[in-house]
Amino acid sequence: MTGIRPNPPLQTLVDSVEASSQAAEEPPAPVPPGADREAALTRLFERHYTGLLRLAVLLGADDGEDIVAEAFCQLHRRWNRLHTVDAALPYLRSVVCNLARMRLRHLQVIRRHPVWSADLERSAESVALLHDDQQALIDALRQLSARQREALVLRYWLGLRESEIAAAMSISCGAVKAHTSRGMAALTKIMQERR
Amino acid sequence: MTTGPASTEDQLREVLDKLASGVQAAPDAYRRVQGEWRRRERKRRITLIVLLVLLFAFADIVGLLALNQYRSRQHTVFNDPVPSRSHSPAAPPRSAGLSSLPTPWGGVPL
Repeated sequence: MTGIRPNPPLQTLVDSVEASSQAAEEPPAPVPPGADREAALTRLFERHYTGLLRLAVLLGADDGEDIVAEAFCQLHRRWNRLHTVDAALPYLRSVVCNLARMRLRHLQVIRRHPVWSADLERSAESVALLHDDQQALIDALRQLSARQREALVLRYWLGLRESEIAAAMSISCGAVKAHTSRGMAALTKIMQERR
Repeated sequence: MTTGPASTEDQLREVLDKLASGVQAAPDAYRRVQGEWRRRERKRRITLIVLLVLLFAFADIVGLLALNQYRSRQHTVFNDPVPSRSHSPAAPPRSAGLSSLPTPWGGVPL
């Protein structure tokens, strides 16, 4: 893969700009103790809940709301272990990725075949603007492994860097490159065969 | 029509954006999640308090049992019936045994 960073969505751009400006002007904010934990979690929730919910749904989880709620509960429990407040969002992303992967494996074991999110189906139906090529791309995305799908979603939807994807998936940067390139090669091959 | 990786990347980005835009958060999501993490925090604290109470109760019970066992035994600190006499016997009186003790020169003591 090239080192060029793809265009991230607007919200991600705003977040990254805010984070980079904060990082350039002042040192990372320490974790507020005790009573301020609720306020900090409330701010995190208001800013990032919808994005994390969409991430969980795009990763194929059928219970995205439960996964994101569990991620926030785990963050609340381990709040004192954070070094800075800025580490909260990568931690939430990592928990959402792990829980979505575990949920998919669980459902695959139960149903004995690959599953796809019912929320994602509803989302696709609600959009109702997908062309045939886009629908085929979604079908191809379903056929990828969970890791490849995670890498592609984190890169092409969230626009994260490889190091951020590696932190979210708890793997090395080399593994991120491998998953991304293999996943994209598989998608390209499927789309070329379709045409 | 391009079918290369660049085209696939653009299509993938577009599809993911469309799918994501169709997912909306529930209006009461914050209240639900906040209630959940507060319930878990309360449960953790109650569990910790119960464990501490159980630990102290166990320590108290063990201490009381130990004290109860030692109450009927004979005390050894202030109830010593026979004073110890482990010292060497005192020297005999000079007048009583001087005549029978041997002398270094083998003679009769003066």
